Amino acid sequence: MQEQIRPRRRLDSPPVLAVDNLSVQLQTRQGTARVVDGVNLEVWPGEIVGVIGESGSGKTMTALSVLRLMPQVARIVGGDIRLSGTSLPSLSDAQMRKLRGNRMALIPQDPLSALNPVQPIGRQVGEPFVLHRRSRWQAALQQAVRLLGAVHLPLPETRAAEYPHQFSGGMRQRAMTAMALALEPDLLIADEPTTALDVTIQAQVLRLLGEIRDEHATAILLITHDLGVVAESCDWVYVMYAGRIVEEGPVGRLFAHPSHPYTQALLNATPSIELAQTELAAIPGRIPSPYEIGPGCRFADRCAQRLARCAQEPPLLPVAAEHLARCWLLEESRG
Amino acid sequence: MSGQNAVRSPSGWRRYRLLWVGGLLVALVCLAALCAPWVTPYSPYDLDVADMLQAPSATHWLGTDEIGRDVLSRTVFAARISLQVGLVAVAVGLFGGLLIGVVAGYWGGLLDLALMRAMELLFSFPAILLAIVLMAVLGTSILNAMVAIGIIFIPGFARLARVSTQKVLRQSYIDAARTIGMADARILQREILPNVMTPLLVEAMTAFAYAVILESSLSFLGLGAQPPEPSWGNMLSTGRGFMAQAPWLAIVPGAALFVGVLGFNLLGDGLRDFFDPRMKD
Amino acid sequence: MLRLIVVRLAWFVPTILVTSMVLFLAVNVIPGSAAKAALGIDATPQAIARFEHELGLDRPLYVQYFEWLAKVLQGDFGTSFQNRVPVGPEILARLPVTLELALLAFLIANLIAVPLGAFAAYHHQRPVDTVISAIATLFGAIPTFWMATLLILLLGMTLRWLPAGGYVPFADNPAMNLRLLLMPALSLGVVSSALLLRIMRAEMIEVLSSDYIRTAFAKGANPSIVIWKHALRNSLIPFLTVGAVEFGWLFGGVVIIEDIFLLPGLGSLVLVGIINRDYPVLLSSVLVITVVVLTLNLVVDLLAAVLDPRQVYARSEQ
Repeated sequence: MQEQIRPRRRLDSPPVLAVDNLSVQLQTRQGTARVVDGVNLEVWPGEIVGVIGESGSGKTMTALSVLRLMPQVARIVGGDIRLSGTSLPSLSDAQMRKLRGNRMALIPQDPLSALNPVQPIGRQVGEPFVLHRRSRWQAALQQAVRLLGAVHLPLPETRAAEYPHQFSGGMRQRAMTAMALALEPDLLIADEPTTALDVTIQAQVLRLLGEIRDEHATAILLITHDLGVVAESCDWVYVMYAGRIVEEGPVGRLFAHPSHPYTQALLNATPSIELAQTELAAIPGRIPSPYEIGPGCRFADRCAQRLARCAQEPPLLPVAAEHLARCWLLEESRG
Repeated sequence: MSGQNAVRSPSGWRRYRLLWVGGLLVALVCLAALCAPWVTPYSPYDLDVADMLQAPSATHWLGTDEIGRDVLSRTVFAARISLQVGLVAVAVGLFGGLLIGVVAGYWGGLLDLALMRAMELLFSFPAILLAIVLMAVLGTSILNAMVAIGIIFIPGFARLARVSTQKVLRQSYIDAARTIGMADARILQREILPNVMTPLLVEAMTAFAYAVILESSLSFLGLGAQPPEPSWGNMLSTGRGFMAQAPWLAIVPGAALFVGVLGFNLLGDGLRDFFDPRMKD
Repeated sequence: MLRLIVVRLAWFVPTILVTSMVLFLAVNVIPGSAAKAALGIDATPQAIARFEHELGLDRPLYVQYFEWLAKVLQGDFGTSFQNRVPVGPEILARLPVTLELALLAFLIANLIAVPLGAFAAYHHQRPVDTVISAIATLFGAIPTFWMATLLILLLGMTLRWLPAGGYVPFADNPAMNLRLLLMPALSLGVVSSALLLRIMRAEMIEVLSSDYIRTAFAKGANPSIVIWKHALRNSLIPFLTVGAVEFGWLFGGVVIIEDIFLLPGLGSLVLVGIINRDYPVLLSSVLVITVVVLTLNLVVDLLAAVLDPRQVYARSEQ
């Protein structure tokens, strides 16, 4: 586990990404679902920030909101998202298009379904140059070959002419990474980039993300449900539960002293939340539906250490310097 | 997850509008067919040469044809032929297809291959052409039209029945039934048939609409219902000869046909959404 | 790819053989009917026997079939009962009319279905989508011959924009040829477009919800680039496969449309064959239409495969 904490705040520059009190709702016939509720997070240059949570925690919706790529039923109802100081929600769709793939890029979860099956890889990787730099296709293809080489894909010239179904899982994720890196964005959003890959390939992809961060000081937002991934590659971590951030802090600190019962339950036994869920299932109660969220702590239903005051949701309380958790126990223990 | 509820919760008009509109139109056509003798002002056969090619008026709401028959009465009576042909043809197609599809799907292997290739062959014929050839071979009569159209439907129903059968067979409870020694006939009757019938009945509505179109096409060409029996197809065909003087002769039966086909199509779409909300776009 | 073509062809040839066999049997299954048709209802049994012997109709059916097939393969479609002229040249003269009509109709159907279907899919569940889908449902319920009648009433008789029937070969007068074929092609094309539009819309909705479309948006592509460069080809693959079947239906409609618009094509020849009980004419015209439909199905199927690199490269992966 990395104990060294990178300098988080540089006074001379704003964070690359600042999500400020963001709320996202889904409007469906069933009603209104509060899938992201008052989320704050920051990603600074050269930093890999993990957002961890199970499916339905709102982590992916948070990431997609930054890119304005959420499903049609989703709407940002409050808060702000700033990319290097520019407020994104107030931008027009055309202005957003100029930023996407250019100053911020997405590495998606499943590289097979995220690649167009009927276009050669090189064309897809080079497309950002055509879209944003008005390059000719030939020049864009040369850039694509260069990028594929940069992500350590063997024989990039040959491979650029091939189609996604001819690639292995790890090669596809390299191609997706190359595509995201094309215009050297300030912010890279990786949505479960390793979930669809097997363990050895996972390590390679994570190492690649580390290299990118080191070489270009790229800020990386890493969405995952895998505690191992966070421990291995992130500098900072946010734990999400039912649309809320329940704990945040530097990775080493948070893993050594998990302070929210949910985080504790996760860290107790298993490396992955998907696995942890089976254990959590043994705990009575269930994850609240985003359609019916009450005023209390969202984890209270299944919390073994529940207090009377958990009927009111706690704010994020300080555990230590830079380490916050959303739990009344912190005040109790302090008396 | 929430999809099921999201689709089901708004009740009534919006969710079931296809069913409502389709059902209403189909009910209209069925009612016309059933009550034709009581709701029509004139006999569909009585001619009145003095009154020929009359424009729509208070006495003849939709005018009269070239030998003075009341167009409204003929149009209403023609619903009978369309529905009869539709019923018989769909029944022939449904049971033929059910038999072939379930047999192919249940026993599989070479039998499946042979049956389905034959169905594919039949399916690749242009439908109307097939109907025309069958009519030429069988001879021109309304009964033959029913059979010819029914034969056309067999491959479609057979495919659907086969797919549904295979889907049911993949369920583990079928293995369980086999393990406890349940006979094929019993499995087919208890487990397969009920599950296969729903998609087939939904498809039957679409087939019904198509049967109505095919019947009127054959009658239009003079191969289906024979004059003086009124059918929307043969009425339209005669009407074409008088388009300059009496355009209603071509417009009215076509409109009736359109309403009937639209009704069955909508009912089919509505039923599909009803039974399989996930398929709803 | 080569493998794919071989497989499709291997299935194509027997299909046509079986089709020809079925058609031949269907027409010849009624004993004495050919003679009755040629000689008239009150022909004496002796006359019928003589007629059948002359034409070899008293031999076993399979012998007749193979003889007929051998002749057809050499381009000899037999002689018309009605006017004793060879059927082959007649078919050859009429084939271009039908082909032109069908292709024009298919073109119109796709020009309506593809853009509107894609547009509706992009605006899925918004009012535009509902309106387009409703129009498709309405068009789909119009029988081709009623559509033809309405078009003649409107464009031909009321507005007098287009002639209501007749035919001029393209080589003689291209402009007139197209004017004459426009209404028949519209009648077929507009009705066929309804089903094609629904298929296009459904496929496009599916494609637009896929991850690689999100990738395209994540790269900063605008909606028109996403639809036409990223989504269209993916939607066309399943669309063409289903569209090929619709093309067959459209060809069936040709019989009625040619009759209505007095076009001297294969479709009207089928009707001539039926009305005159002229079996060589009926058999040949239906056979040729079916072969044309099956061939076009094959072409469209292969086209769909060419669009899909997963199929083109299928062999190199094995």
